[in-house]
Amino acid sequence: MTDLLFLAFAAVAIGAAILAIEARDLVYGAAALGIAFLGVAGLFFLLDAAYVGWFQIAVYIGAVVVLILFTVMLVGPKMGETPLGLKRVSLLAAILVSLLLGMTGALANATAFPGQDSCGSGCDLALFSTSLLKNYGVQLEFMSLVMAAAVIGALALSKTDRGQ
Amino acid sequence: MLTSPLFLQIVLFPGLTSIAIIGALLGWLERKVTARVQLRIGPLYASPAGGILQMFADLIKLAFKELIVPENSDAFFFIMAPTTGLVLGAALVGLIPFAPGLQIANIEVGLPAFLAIITLSPTLILLAGWSANSKFPFIGGLRALFQQTAYEIPLWLSALGVIMMAGTMNLAQIVAAQSTGWFIIPQALGAFIFLVTSVAEMERLPFDLPEAESEIMMGWQAEYPGVLFLAAQGPGFVKLYAFSALFTTIFLGGFLGPSFLPPLFWMLSKTLTVIVLIMLLRSTFPRVRLDQLLRAGWTTLLTLAIINIGITYILVVGLPTL
Amino acid sequence: MVAQGIPEIGAYIAFLFVSTVALVIVLRLFITPKDPRPTPEKKKPFESGQIAAGPGRTRFIIQYYPYLLMFVVYDVVAMFLFAWGLNLRALGASGSVPVLVFIVVLLIPLGYALHLANHRENW
Repeated sequence: MTDLLFLAFAAVAIGAAILAIEARDLVYGAAALGIAFLGVAGLFFLLDAAYVGWFQIAVYIGAVVVLILFTVMLVGPKMGETPLGLKRVSLLAAILVSLLLGMTGALANATAFPGQDSCGSGCDLALFSTSLLKNYGVQLEFMSLVMAAAVIGALALSKTDRGQ
Repeated sequence: MLTSPLFLQIVLFPGLTSIAIIGALLGWLERKVTARVQLRIGPLYASPAGGILQMFADLIKLAFKELIVPENSDAFFFIMAPTTGLVLGAALVGLIPFAPGLQIANIEVGLPAFLAIITLSPTLILLAGWSANSKFPFIGGLRALFQQTAYEIPLWLSALGVIMMAGTMNLAQIVAAQSTGWFIIPQALGAFIFLVTSVAEMERLPFDLPEAESEIMMGWQAEYPGVLFLAAQGPGFVKLYAFSALFTTIFLGGFLGPSFLPPLFWMLSKTLTVIVLIMLLRSTFPRVRLDQLLRAGWTTLLTLAIINIGITYILVVGLPTL
Repeated sequence: MVAQGIPEIGAYIAFLFVSTVALVIVLRLFITPKDPRPTPEKKKPFESGQIAAGPGRTRFIIQYYPYLLMFVVYDVVAMFLFAWGLNLRALGASGSVPVLVFIVVLLIPLGYALHLANHRENW
């Protein structure tokens, strides 16, 4: 049953990602990207990481896809204009993606994911929270610096002097 | 399988059937409450009991209307966006514990799951507004996007206060944790923020700019004919129900109450009180302008939410001894 | 028994009623009869009687774009804060130090945004 679900979610993720690249209308591409993220969220649920799965939905589909859609809708080609020529880019993308899939397959066979979760039945959120803060505290601080820089950069870039 | 308790719960109560009926009844209730505040009578003719079948009459009328898809519009998103909205609304109600054992999905991360599903709503409204290829729906969709994304962070943070106090993200356990006292008392600021931001998320007055009826003619819902109009309006009432139920669950003690009446009664009566409170807001406040709204959300409410986290931290951990 | 006090037969009747309505709505979407009066005005965008001119998706409200970016970042912040808040009683003050530094570092861009928002001519 788990294998079937895994295949289903993986197929959704890969299929929607291919659609996202190949779509002629950029809005369809962004929506397909959202479906691909849904497939990835399903994979997180299969890995017993429900917390990460729900936040994958909230952050990626709820925020990143919305940002992409907003940008495409306001800055992309208007109705009736020819969409960007994507033929050569998509060939390159296809080659890169097949390389990536091949490498992932080889790695998966080599390391062999453990048959059981490494925390077994004790995969609870309290453990996750404690280990996040105790073992990965430094990484957390670096991430906060990166995010702060991103926000300040975005705010500074969008500031326009209207000359008043 | 057809009579298994879970199936009955999904289909009947608190699942699909009850969501549909309660959604329709809330439409009637809103009209009645608004009418009484404005010293009118409201729906009167549709049944013997004060027009209670009004929404069902509207439903039958809408089912017979012609479905006009505007030219140059994107039919796929035009139809799919509000339909998906209905599915999301139903998914929200499924997470809430209505009584011990009456919960369709008792998942360990119930509270973030609810909020994550709500985070999907700006995407759908943006697509719905864009797909009609008409200026007013598009403006409405953009306004909805900015409004909902602005008020979601205070929503998350006010829910965080509850999680800090309860120590769990499971909605049933949060209700159980309130047996010594409802969280609305220590979390008064958090409850206030949650109420304000959920009204903004539902696009109700005073945050009803995306649907501004006197301004941009129903905003992103303007081009929706007949049955699709129902699909566009329906999620609004379902979200009202779902948010009020969640507010009751995390701040008002959910189904807890003196045991001479069943827990379901307490849950529903508390939820109804919150719903009527939110409906009264509609007739009381004027509409907020977009830049005022965004500034209020990102500055005032977010600051209050962070202060609330600080207060909750001190309540839970105690003052830091330096 | 579905819920206390609701007889099963009544619940099934309600279910049949709602499912009939749902079926009607779904079928209605698929079985659309041929338009008896196809006038071109029916399909035009609605603008309260004016004849719609210009494209339907012109560029509006771009200046609030930074709010969207801030939303993306603070949504991720909410994720980490939830992970922290869950275990607050067990972590105590000493375990919360990384998260408190995290919050303080991320309050700085928020303060910058507040500063910019107060200077309305820039936004």
